[in-house]
Amino acid sequence: MNKRFVNIVLRHLLLAFLAFIWLIPIVWLLVTSFSAYTGINTSTFFPQEWSLQNYKNLLFSADSVAQFPNWFKNTFIVACCSCVISSAFVLMVAYATSCMRFKMRKPLMNMAVIMNLFPGFLSMIAVYFILRTLNLTNNHWGLVLVYSASSGLGYLIAKGFLDTVPVSLREAAYLDGASEAKIFWSVVLPMSQPIIVYTVISSFLAPWMDFIFAKMILNAGVSSQWTVAIGLFNMLDRSLINTYFTQFCAGGVLVSIPISVLFVIMQKFYVEGVTGGSVKG
Amino acid sequence: MDKVKGQTGSFFGAIGGFFKEFGTAVANGDIFVKLSLIWMGAGYCRRKQFIKSILITLFEIAVIAFTFGFAMDYVPKFATLGTVQQESVFNVVTMKNEFNDYDHSFMILLFSLISFVVWAIFAVVYLNNIINNYKLQKMEQEGKHIKTFKEDLISFLNEKFHITLLALPVSGVVAFTLVPLLVLILVAFTNYDQQHMPPSALFTWVGFRNFRDLFGNGGLTVTFGYAFVRVLAWTLVWAVFATFTTYIGGILLSILINDKKTKFPKMWRTLFIITIAVPQFVSLLLVKNFFGNSGIVNTFCANIGLTDWLRSMGLIGTSYIPFLSAPGWAHAMIILINVWVGVPYQMLIATGVLMNIPTEQLESARIDGATPRQIFWKITMPYMLFITGPALVTDFVKNINNFNVIYLLTANVFVTTNQAMANSQAKEVDLLVTWLYTLTQDYYNYKMASTIGIVVFIICAVFTLISFNRFIKGDREEAYR
Amino acid sequence: MKVKKLAALLLAGTMTLSLAACGNPEVANDTPASDAPAAEAPAQEAAESQEVQKAEAPAEKQDVSLRMWGAEEDQAMLQDMINSFEENYKDYANFDIQLGVESESTAKDTVLTDIEAAADVYALASDQLIDLVKAGALQPIDDMDGALQAYAGKSVADIKSANAEGSVAASTYDGKLYAFPMSADNGYFLFYDANVLSEEDVASWDSLLAKAGEAGKKVGMTFASGWYNASFFYGAGFTTDLNEDGSTSIDFNGSADCSGVEVVQAMLDIASNGAFAAVPDGDISNQIASGGLCAAVSGTWDATAAQDAFGDGYAATKLPTFNAGGKEIQQGSVAGYKLVAVNAYSQNAGWAALLADWITNEENQAIRFEKREIGPSNNNVAASDAVAANVAIAALAEQSAYGVVQNVGGNFWDPAATFGEMIAQGQIARDDEAAIQTALDTMVEGITAPIQ
Repeated sequence: MNKRFVNIVLRHLLLAFLAFIWLIPIVWLLVTSFSAYTGINTSTFFPQEWSLQNYKNLLFSADSVAQFPNWFKNTFIVACCSCVISSAFVLMVAYATSCMRFKMRKPLMNMAVIMNLFPGFLSMIAVYFILRTLNLTNNHWGLVLVYSASSGLGYLIAKGFLDTVPVSLREAAYLDGASEAKIFWSVVLPMSQPIIVYTVISSFLAPWMDFIFAKMILNAGVSSQWTVAIGLFNMLDRSLINTYFTQFCAGGVLVSIPISVLFVIMQKFYVEGVTGGSVKG
Repeated sequence: MDKVKGQTGSFFGAIGGFFKEFGTAVANGDIFVKLSLIWMGAGYCRRKQFIKSILITLFEIAVIAFTFGFAMDYVPKFATLGTVQQESVFNVVTMKNEFNDYDHSFMILLFSLISFVVWAIFAVVYLNNIINNYKLQKMEQEGKHIKTFKEDLISFLNEKFHITLLALPVSGVVAFTLVPLLVLILVAFTNYDQQHMPPSALFTWVGFRNFRDLFGNGGLTVTFGYAFVRVLAWTLVWAVFATFTTYIGGILLSILINDKKTKFPKMWRTLFIITIAVPQFVSLLLVKNFFGNSGIVNTFCANIGLTDWLRSMGLIGTSYIPFLSAPGWAHAMIILINVWVGVPYQMLIATGVLMNIPTEQLESARIDGATPRQIFWKITMPYMLFITGPALVTDFVKNINNFNVIYLLTANVFVTTNQAMANSQAKEVDLLVTWLYTLTQDYYNYKMASTIGIVVFIICAVFTLISFNRFIKGDREEAYR
Repeated sequence: MKVKKLAALLLAGTMTLSLAACGNPEVANDTPASDAPAAEAPAQEAAESQEVQKAEAPAEKQDVSLRMWGAEEDQAMLQDMINSFEENYKDYANFDIQLGVESESTAKDTVLTDIEAAADVYALASDQLIDLVKAGALQPIDDMDGALQAYAGKSVADIKSANAEGSVAASTYDGKLYAFPMSADNGYFLFYDANVLSEEDVASWDSLLAKAGEAGKKVGMTFASGWYNASFFYGAGFTTDLNEDGSTSIDFNGSADCSGVEVVQAMLDIASNGAFAAVPDGDISNQIASGGLCAAVSGTWDATAAQDAFGDGYAATKLPTFNAGGKEIQQGSVAGYKLVAVNAYSQNAGWAALLADWITNEENQAIRFEKREIGPSNNNVAASDAVAANVAIAALAEQSAYGVVQNVGGNFWDPAATFGEMIAQGQIARDDEAAIQTALDTMVEGITAPIQ
């Protein structure tokens, strides 16, 4: 009994320690965003003077450098659209390759692996010119396409998950006369919540993270069109960093908020998915 | 390897069979099947499938329009990639430059390729169309029921559901991954570099010269071979460490959190997930400043005397700890920081997978008196590996091409002191991709970047195809059903 | 002469193309100078306007849409300049000018990705000019002579003579002018804290470091960048040059006023001094702001940071001398400029050139100095009292006597940065002359490597 108690205490201490390490940079981000000094503070962890000025500047007094509300709106729209498209694509490909058998299945899967091997940014310039031909540069739809069009290639994790869905369930549905589409929609999808959550999260995040593609496609230099990533990255320019570093941090914090909310909401589904899994098991 | 061979063999066999079928169809088909060679809707029209007939005719017209309205502007120039150099004269009255009708080599390359892809798709549809028509003819002769349009549509929700599912994702991949990749491959056979940049200059085909230059006469630069080997070695070391540290870390953390003995699992999970919520480029740039030569960690280490102690031990020769600015230190730090970045993700996946472990297996093992360790190694791990094995391979490949972490952590901070590396524009912490990025971004050497890209790809492809086929080959796919 | 040429040009133009914006042949007549738009720059000399003619307002105005890129910090000021431009030329065309953000230091990368989609007018740092010219991205300004004479009332020769010689040289390649000089401040010099260091102290590195050491402060300079560390070599008479094929020639491993080895030894002496801080490239602003330095080698972009950090002790001067081979040698520097270029693929190249000229003319260079303390390349503005009184720009002007235009190819930067970092970290022994020579040879080999 005593040993068990020690075990539990140690376990929580370890977790607390790990969480501490994982959170240090995040806390630094948070406290720096409240700093009154606008450059990089290299001497102390906590700012010497606290202030809300960074948030105020970022949210209410947009200048040509910091147009955060616009960026946020742009990125949010792009993220939502590409999230819907990519999640759908990933699940569609995963279902087709996991639950169905057809002639081109293996060749297609091998092709997908091969294509994942190429360093993507080398072909960036070709993607750019394709978009320009379609008149989609400096256009948020162009960005959505870039983030979601090829997302089917990332189907492997979802396929791995669907592989664990018992065949017997689908067979029962076949016997009831359900079509493939119906099975996909009302048998397999409801059981795949964890992987849907995972797919949604990862495809929602991409537009918030990417600045290389985004900068290339939104190349007209109109800063109100930018996404958060380009805008924030731009604040670290040599001539701007000393005035905007703390606003950069504040921007980072603000970006994390919707993503955190997404995670918190998704965690609820997560647990439901888990119970669903145990029922079916 | 044999399996791969066998597969390619059967693939080509299938193609051969396809053409044979087409031949039979043309030879034995009635007049309407033969007419379908010109008017693709003819056969369907005869069998009273009018909607299908209209659709396929529209498709045919669209492709013809594409060919003469677009493709023929570019494809004839594909052999030379253009011959008309851009020239302009300024007209002071209109205040405009007057350009000649110049060729843009890259556009010619790209659009020709797109045309080829479109034609390839058309060819497949065309051949299939004849075969289908012949089938319909036979069905009619045998008096079988020919499907109505509605029945055809329904089949796309049933036995042909995979076509419905895959159509959009595959066309997305073709347009935004396959075509750009083919462009990239073709560029390796041209002289597209700073001296030949469209639109002002033309580039053209040079055959295998770039590949010869890469490995012949001492390589791209005198130290090219030296740098290539080192960059490749670090790329592989990095990929192995980055993949396995985060993978194992994620599983362990997820087990730790999801154990029944852990209180508030949701809270712990949330704490770790917060780090994902901060966009990678923000957190990485932040961490870069955190560990900078004059960053806060260095200030802290100097204050507690760690820096002086390391100096006296002879471990560092500078007045700061070069966390991200000296080889060795930087290598270790990059891997550690990547653990910080990657473990929460992996934990999320592992949690999802672990929740779906067949509980009866765990129960029976427990009843049989297995220790937690045995359960972990005998049941949990094999299950995890089975489910995430393919993902592990993709992760590995992703890490080989992991641009963000290396670039964000070391750009502008890490200056190599190895002159041989510097003479090839490489750094000790460069992955092949970051090196390629420098070559294209700073030197506009697209031809060489593409050439190296292909070489890298071949290395990766051999490795991956073998392990991938191991992981998902054969009956294992059905093992846990 | 000029009038005739212009008339001929206009006539030729009307004959070949009958367009809406039909040029009026009567423009060749003696149009009085007073017809010039009222908002014309007051600085325009009377003598000049007697000579040149203004085009008359056309019957139908052209619709001209232009895009311009400028630095992030300049946006508000550039918008004002655009407004005054539109006002000035409102009789000739209807303008739709869009202003975008592109830092001068990254203009080349963005432009070369897709020249046809780049802005019509953009600002760039002078070291990017050659790459852009070779890619055919820049409109030769010489071709714009007619347009400038017709509408701005000046010739290309006037532009050349109005700006500092160095800035014109930096805008010229192969005898052709490719950009309008905008500012002459892209160089470096020494900021120092006059409360800690006296004028005599900052004259040489030896006394500078000695005094800083006594005060317990540091002197910062970036070594790991070929832009900064070449200053020692340039000071001692070494040279770099760009070849036709894009490769670089360099003589740092030979000898000039002293041997290359002796220059390296001098750099090693400085780097090994406890009062010296080798600052990573791009980190110097942050270092100045954080307060550990009493002097730093940097440029006008750090003037505000230095002012804040040094307070009333804020001062600036030319770079110090260094001791190499027993001689005191004045440290050189790289003279950089900022230019405004016209896209060769612009749909409205003529008006783009006029806009580029407008934002770099004397009046707007004066405004630029007034609002952003940017050192002018225009001779008249540079000679004004206000500019002379500016500490940083005065120091830059003082240093410019020792500055060179750094003509190097792409292969220069990495080997040079590595060499600087090796010195900064003290990886070469000061007394091992053979090792220093080998390191120099290796660097030169990398820099002079042919371009593949």
